Amino acid sequence: MKLLTLAFLAGLVALLVWASADLPDRADPNAPANRHLSPELTEMTKEDVEIPNLVSAILADFRSYDTLGETFVIFTAGLAVVLVLQRSRRVPEEERGDE
Amino acid sequence: MNERYDSVVLHFIARIFMVPLIIVFGIYVLMHGELSPGGGFQAGAIVAAALLLVRLALGNREGARRMPRGVLLWLACIGLGIYMFGGILPLILGANFLDYAPIPVEWYNQIAGEPRTARATGIFIVEIGVFFGVATVLVLIYDLIAGSSRQ
Repeated sequence: MKLLTLAFLAGLVALLVWASADLPDRADPNAPANRHLSPELTEMTKEDVEIPNLVSAILADFRSYDTLGETFVIFTAGLAVVLVLQRSRRVPEEERGDE
Repeated sequence: MNERYDSVVLHFIARIFMVPLIIVFGIYVLMHGELSPGGGFQAGAIVAAALLLVRLALGNREGARRMPRGVLLWLACIGLGIYMFGGILPLILGANFLDYAPIPVEWYNQIAGEPRTARATGIFIVEIGVFFGVATVLVLIYDLIAGSSRQ
């Protein structure tokens, strides 16, 4: 069983390595992933936002609704942890008689 | 769970030297969020690391007393409020939600003498909000899981 797993994993690695030969070079401007929105966003950052940091411009300006959602998610996670793990000092009415 | 460990070296290095340095570096990362790699999330994580270092050096109970849970929760709410303010301020000034173009920056540029665009200012406001949210929530989760809840 172990040998079967190892053989399967080796085959998977070989498949991925073989497939990675077809991938475009990193930072290739003509790669399909870089041709669709990247030039537009780069030009809009230069003309409209006028800040040098492209990542911040996309994160907090073009995609600011997304970042607002992320902040809400983090805040909700913290709030949920507090509500679940915090020990309440108040004892409910019906349990107070037992102590 | 995590008790105070009394060592001059630990307390000098951690509390006198490293914590202020880490907080200053975190604020630097925050302030330069729109100029160089950095921003609210990263700065929040760095400052949270400083606050966690205080808890590791002093023990959870005493460390949590320096920055209690109520304060952390309030700061998280304030961070979210700053973000919403950055979104609603353009709404009041006549643009779309989170469209920073009409934020007034001329008075600031006159005082500080630097050309700062309205959109950079809006991004900075938003980053401050994210910073408070991330920093406080990371410390809150550590506090509650690592046992300072045993009070």
